[in-house]
Amino acid sequence: MSNPSQAVEAPDADEDTPSSLDEGTLESISEDAPSWLSERRRHAWSVFEDTPLPSTRSEEWRYTDVSRVLDFADLRLTTHGALAENGSLPPGLAAAMDEDHAASGHTLLIDGAVVHVDLEPALAEQGVVLTSLKSAVDEHGDLLEELLATEVVPEEGKFQALNTALWTDGVLLYVPPNVKLDLPIHATRWLSDAASAVCTRTLIVAETGSQVSYVEELLSGDFERRTLVSSAVEVIARDGAQVQCVSIQRLGRGAFCQSAQRTLAYRDATLDTLNVNLGASVSRLDLNARLLGPGAHSNMLGLYFGDEDQHFDHNTSQDHVAPDTGSDLLYKGALDESSRAAFRGIIRVHPDAQRTDAYQTNRNLLLSDEARADSLPNLEIEADDVKCSHGASVGQLDSEALFYLLSRGLSQQQAERLVVLGFLGDVMTRLPLSGVVAKVTRAIERKLKSV
Amino acid sequence: MPENELVEGLGLDEYQYGFVDDEEHVFRTRPGLDEDIVRQISKHKDEPEWMLEFRLKALKIYERKPMPTWGGDLSDLEATLDEIYFYVKPQEQMERSWDDVPDTIKTTFERLGIPDAEQKLLAGVGAQYESEMVYHSLKEEWSSQGVIFDSIEDGLKNHPELFREHFASIIPAADNKFAALNSAVWSGGSFVYVPRGVELKTPLQAYFRVNQERMGQFERTLIIIDEGAQAHYIEGCTAPVYSTESFHSGVIEIVLKKDARFRYTTIQNWSNNMYNLVTQRAVVNENATMEWLDGNLGSKLTMKYPSCYLVGEGAHGDIMSIAYASDGQHQDTGGKVVHVAPNTTSSITSKSISKGHGRSSYRGLCKVYEGAINARSNVECDALLIDATSRTDTYPYIEIEEKRSSVGHEATVSRVGDAQLFYLMSRGLTQEEAMALIVRGFIEPIAKELPLEYAVELNRLIELEMEGSVG
Repeated sequence: MSNPSQAVEAPDADEDTPSSLDEGTLESISEDAPSWLSERRRHAWSVFEDTPLPSTRSEEWRYTDVSRVLDFADLRLTTHGALAENGSLPPGLAAAMDEDHAASGHTLLIDGAVVHVDLEPALAEQGVVLTSLKSAVDEHGDLLEELLATEVVPEEGKFQALNTALWTDGVLLYVPPNVKLDLPIHATRWLSDAASAVCTRTLIVAETGSQVSYVEELLSGDFERRTLVSSAVEVIARDGAQVQCVSIQRLGRGAFCQSAQRTLAYRDATLDTLNVNLGASVSRLDLNARLLGPGAHSNMLGLYFGDEDQHFDHNTSQDHVAPDTGSDLLYKGALDESSRAAFRGIIRVHPDAQRTDAYQTNRNLLLSDEARADSLPNLEIEADDVKCSHGASVGQLDSEALFYLLSRGLSQQQAERLVVLGFLGDVMTRLPLSGVVAKVTRAIERKLKSV
Repeated sequence: MPENELVEGLGLDEYQYGFVDDEEHVFRTRPGLDEDIVRQISKHKDEPEWMLEFRLKALKIYERKPMPTWGGDLSDLEATLDEIYFYVKPQEQMERSWDDVPDTIKTTFERLGIPDAEQKLLAGVGAQYESEMVYHSLKEEWSSQGVIFDSIEDGLKNHPELFREHFASIIPAADNKFAALNSAVWSGGSFVYVPRGVELKTPLQAYFRVNQERMGQFERTLIIIDEGAQAHYIEGCTAPVYSTESFHSGVIEIVLKKDARFRYTTIQNWSNNMYNLVTQRAVVNENATMEWLDGNLGSKLTMKYPSCYLVGEGAHGDIMSIAYASDGQHQDTGGKVVHVAPNTTSSITSKSISKGHGRSSYRGLCKVYEGAINARSNVECDALLIDATSRTDTYPYIEIEEKRSSVGHEATVSRVGDAQLFYLMSRGLTQEEAMALIVRGFIEPIAKELPLEYAVELNRLIELEMEGSVG
């Protein structure tokens, strides 16, 4: 299996200069694009311009004041991927990628561009596609025209509109019918460009009866100036497909990480997501799971652990459109120092979705006097034959567990770490990907040690 | 008396309070609202200057604030508000003796069973008809101990200092659009003061009746429970069924001093064309206990979230709520608990039933401020769906700023299980009886807290509503 950390080519240094978020930039990145794409971009741009900045007076942004943490006028769009001149990887990036040897394929994104892709040749022969979105515009134009930016659309909000207008690159993963990938696809994203806006998209299509897991990791150093890392993720699981999407966010301070994800599960499909948020100064996740065919099921898992003045905002929704569908959401987080987390989740059971089983749980652990957690687990139910429940809690460390560990000779700090890890680890037991569990556990342990 | 006879005695049918009296009044403002109307109301009440100023200021706030965009559908309300009468004065003065109440009004309240209940069960009774309290009385036993139970207007006249100290101190005019509206045009409601250490053994009760078509009722109640005192206040609401919409927007302010204990029970059974938008809030001091028992059965749309502000150490707040939404009804109800002081505790228990095209929503807030060490709160919401067209929503807000606190929220949604129905029917119950029994079991934890006559009424109502609901 190839190791991407030795296979990265240095991109052309003078390819582009960063440009402000305006119509000129829109026109320059739309150059040479097929008309369907430039139309989609222009439409998105007009929506972006017409959409006011999200305000805390709106329900969806009640807990994050964008006007205080981001100024679009300060940002320059990064269109290319720039490495150090000798082509070597930053140490943090190389270390993370070294964990990902056991994989069906890799892709590496530096700033706004894919700089490396590799895929098991046997899978490529079976028709699996793993490629940069930029090259897919030419090579898989029909598929993109049909599906790209049809789910995470500009009308969803200001950031979704910005991303749809100005995305520079991203990942296309296509798995043909009945093809099963035993090992995950690893995507690694490294951000280096301060005061920039990096807009990328991911499109994953798993055809009937296929199986795939996709693990993405976001990494960077600390930024001295606010940097926007914007992602739009669209995942489609056709009848009977089994898909798992994992995102591990370990960006440096100064980053505003914004991710809009939508998953579509058709008949008897399983589509699970895990979002791990450990890094960035501000992180906002919009996740919408749509259960569109009978027998479809989604596990939606989330983990977050904040310190200093980190701010996490999760906005999830579970749309049960078809009957006999299930979804189970569990988001757990620990908050230290003056960090803050908000969770707003909604289960919508549409009128025809009889025999829905839907669950939603958000649990928070406050580790310091200055930490704060807000939780809004909502239900909207329009069918009668359903089983739905939700729960939310905010509390402190289990004093009995702490006492027990202290009595066994552990220090206060060791004991606290262990209890936090146990609290969060509960989420990972629901994810049947052993390699990923180890990776996430390491990421949390690393963060625990730094606190 | 066995329960069945009692029920028959009440003579309930589909909406038994739907009868209409001839419209009689000594004065009413023209429809709609402006500064002139507010001045007229104040003049008719012969108010001090500061109250008129307060009203006019509130009117400005009301006009400035936008309609809420959350909660229920208020899109038709603006048009309704242009056409309703904001003030209708049914008689010249409030009576202390039941015999002096005009016959038509007396008949109305007698049909609601009020004088009867007063003799048997209550410490005091107030009755509001349209915009004014028409009757207020308090048993000698309690008035001699310094208990005040009066109309809000008489509270302002006779106890100006106590009144001014607390009025609008808990719910300022700018709190929300409808609190501002009420502050501008308030009329009627109760003024209650229970002195230090006095424990009222039987409840005080207020009845609210709207008879006039296209009428807005804006009662304002101020209740002060002094240190170590205890009381229970019950309000009931009914109105005739008209084809046009009516509007009720009350403001209820409650102060519980140290070690006080107070329960406020509402059985809201407005007709199904009533907008019911109410702001209710209690400030709970050291070691005091506030209990809201909120039953919402009637109205077209109710938006009401009784609140407890736990400001003293060891304060406790309890909110129990039952909502029942049938065709054309939206009950957007719940509760708010705000923990400000250490060692405060609270619980919210909400049970809702949605039937036909009815929609019930739980909307609640649990907020723990930094410094409210060892605050504990528990919220439980259960929703029962009767028909495939019924809808239920849950919107809890949980905002925690204090690490040393513990807050939990749980909600479940279910339908009446086929197995439950089958079992009961195999024991010889009809489908309707089985359904009613299951629903009664569902609300029992809260219904058992109600005064007997209301518990019986609630059960009876549910039986009636269940007829023909299956299949």
